[in-house]
Amino acid sequence: MKTLTTPRPPTAASAPAVTQRHRRCPARTAAVWILVGPYTLFLVVFGLAPAGYALWTSFVEDGSFTGLRDWAAVLHDYRLGDAAAHVTTYLLLWLPILLLTVLSLAFTLHARPGRATSVLQLVYYLPGAVTGSAAALLWLFMVSPDSSPFSPLLDLMGIESATDALSGGSVIAVLTVMGVAVHAGGWIVVLHGALNALPKDVLEAAQVDGASAWRTMWHVKLPMVRTYVAFVLISSFASGSQVFVEPTVLSTGAPGQISPTWSVNQLAYVYATQDGDFGKAAALSLAMLAVGVLAAWIVITRTRMYATDSSDSR
Amino acid sequence: MKRWRAASLAAAVALVLCGCGGTGGGAGGRSGDAKDELLVWVDNTRMPAAQQYEKTHPDLKMRIVTIPPDAGYVPTKVSLANRTKSGWPDVVFLANPAEAATLASEKFGYAAPLDDLVPKSVRDGFTPGSLDTCTFGGRTYCLRNDIAPTVLWYDATLMKRYGYRVPKTWDEYRQTGLEAAEEHPGTIVGAVNGKYGAGVYFGSSGCPTRDTLSLTEVRIDLGGPNCTRVADLLQPLARKKAVTTVVPIDPGFSKLGKGDKILMLPAPAWFGDFMFGPAFKVPEGRIAAAPMPTWPGENKPYAGQVGGGAFLVSSHAGGRTREAVDLVRWMTTDVALQAKQPTYPAFAAAAVKWGEAKSKDPYYASDPMPALTAAANALRPGFGAVRFEADWQSSFNDTFVKAVDSDGNLRDSLRSWQDKLKAAAGTSGYTAG
Repeated sequence: MKTLTTPRPPTAASAPAVTQRHRRCPARTAAVWILVGPYTLFLVVFGLAPAGYALWTSFVEDGSFTGLRDWAAVLHDYRLGDAAAHVTTYLLLWLPILLLTVLSLAFTLHARPGRATSVLQLVYYLPGAVTGSAAALLWLFMVSPDSSPFSPLLDLMGIESATDALSGGSVIAVLTVMGVAVHAGGWIVVLHGALNALPKDVLEAAQVDGASAWRTMWHVKLPMVRTYVAFVLISSFASGSQVFVEPTVLSTGAPGQISPTWSVNQLAYVYATQDGDFGKAAALSLAMLAVGVLAAWIVITRTRMYATDSSDSR
Repeated sequence: MKRWRAASLAAAVALVLCGCGGTGGGAGGRSGDAKDELLVWVDNTRMPAAQQYEKTHPDLKMRIVTIPPDAGYVPTKVSLANRTKSGWPDVVFLANPAEAATLASEKFGYAAPLDDLVPKSVRDGFTPGSLDTCTFGGRTYCLRNDIAPTVLWYDATLMKRYGYRVPKTWDEYRQTGLEAAEEHPGTIVGAVNGKYGAGVYFGSSGCPTRDTLSLTEVRIDLGGPNCTRVADLLQPLARKKAVTTVVPIDPGFSKLGKGDKILMLPAPAWFGDFMFGPAFKVPEGRIAAAPMPTWPGENKPYAGQVGGGAFLVSSHAGGRTREAVDLVRWMTTDVALQAKQPTYPAFAAAAVKWGEAKSKDPYYASDPMPALTAAANALRPGFGAVRFEADWQSSFNDTFVKAVDSDGNLRDSLRSWQDKLKAAAGTSGYTAG
């Protein structure tokens, strides 16, 4: 929750932490628990508990300990390499494009406030209003020349059928365009909100000092909203690395073109459902969780995501 | 530190709470339905027949559930039922009969062997070879509802207009295809994509891409002449774009039909009613069927297979097993019922009756039944149900179809397809020979 709070002025944290602890009143403690309690409950029930169960399932089958058998089987699966390569390529394409789109549009909106800004925010947000399987279905129509409003454009690109659009490496391009369209709008609104909350005096000081709009953006605004950018990165990495619904739904448009184990999450799903092997599914899911946690840790440490808050409390 | 201690405690509690539910495997267990009703899962098409059975058996408590025909749906649901040890359907219809290999496997333990439940005289009534996809290690685990033998569909009007003869051998087919591509650019004589390519060409040639020897053994050998001859047949046709890599169920395929570009299309029997008219928009009175061309050195036009459905009885049906078997038997062998079903019946007597209406169908340029019947009786042996059906299709696209698209060497691509098939078989628990 801390990640979404705007940086507080340095004066707010002058008292030592120990003194503050003594001054806490019971009502405030209760309020904290009321606010944090539901989140903690959900975290335990839908986060920690399933992860713990998965850990158990990956080591125990029918009551007997199977050791690292499932983990070894997953790591030696010939489909894992392809799936990981697909997801990595997708992330390498999608994340930078998404981040660049979000940053450039949010900063442009903030630099030119006015009536058009709120209209544009809505325009940017609209594609993101359709998400998940509905978005995948919508994009399936978009890339099928027979039903797409962009069929002349598809013709120019040499795409004559949904098979062309979804076979081989093209599916990554389709997923990238789709991913940017679906996710960018929401993040633009969040980042624009963060920019609006920046202290006016700092921006005015930059203006008085003669900083150009570009320098203000690069040296003043961006460092002040870095926690938000880090949050966008962590959330997007998590959702991108777990891409599942989109390739699954797109594959219904041209069956057989997209492998049912195209992404790592799809492979885990196939283990659990079509192979009936929950141990392998659990092992792979936990491996994915580890990758997500590692990536989040790297982003948090590199961007000093919590630095402002911790320095406040000193 | 306090925070970490609290988090560790929560995690430990969660582990203890969840850990006690750990179960595995699907074999064994009692009947999944406590209500003592016959639970039947069928697709939309089979629903009226199941309801008819229910009406004629008022004493039988039945619950019919519609399931989607999507590949993987039934194994997914059954694996969840295996997990919870309840909720198995007593009878299930498989739109994709390859899934019988999954459901009969030791891991799933769902499909009941029918050898002692369905008399041999009844099983012998099915078209020869049609129950091969239900048979593993000599035991039959399902009854086929319909089969999808491949025939050589062709546009009789175009053939006449261009002055071509319907090919009887694959050599003649290649020759006609090359001439058509030269003289009438854009014309196609076949489609090579996923199961529509692999099932039609490699299936009819008898190339062992998935010959099931048992539930745990499969023969994969793409180095033999039965495989290389397919690559040699398609190589020049691919170069001249006489075969397309667009999957026939892609809406884009209708451009070919509307533009008079489909001269021939070796494809399953159900393409006659469900693809040429409704999907490809080929007008009435033009499409006809011929037997599949014969491969060099053979005199029988063997058919491949793409599609068809099957019924399974649950090994968890317990006291309802007799009722479940009776329903499956009626659904698959009742001549009056099967004569009305949309696709080619697997039960031979029903197929004859079914063909009477087909012979008079004005959509066709000539009676398709002689070719369809010949194809049904010439299913190439060996093409079995495997647990890696999805990988079989996608690996074909990744290797062979990719080579067709990029004008690569098709013979060479067979090696990489074989490697992927063997890997897929190994991962699915098969010993690949």
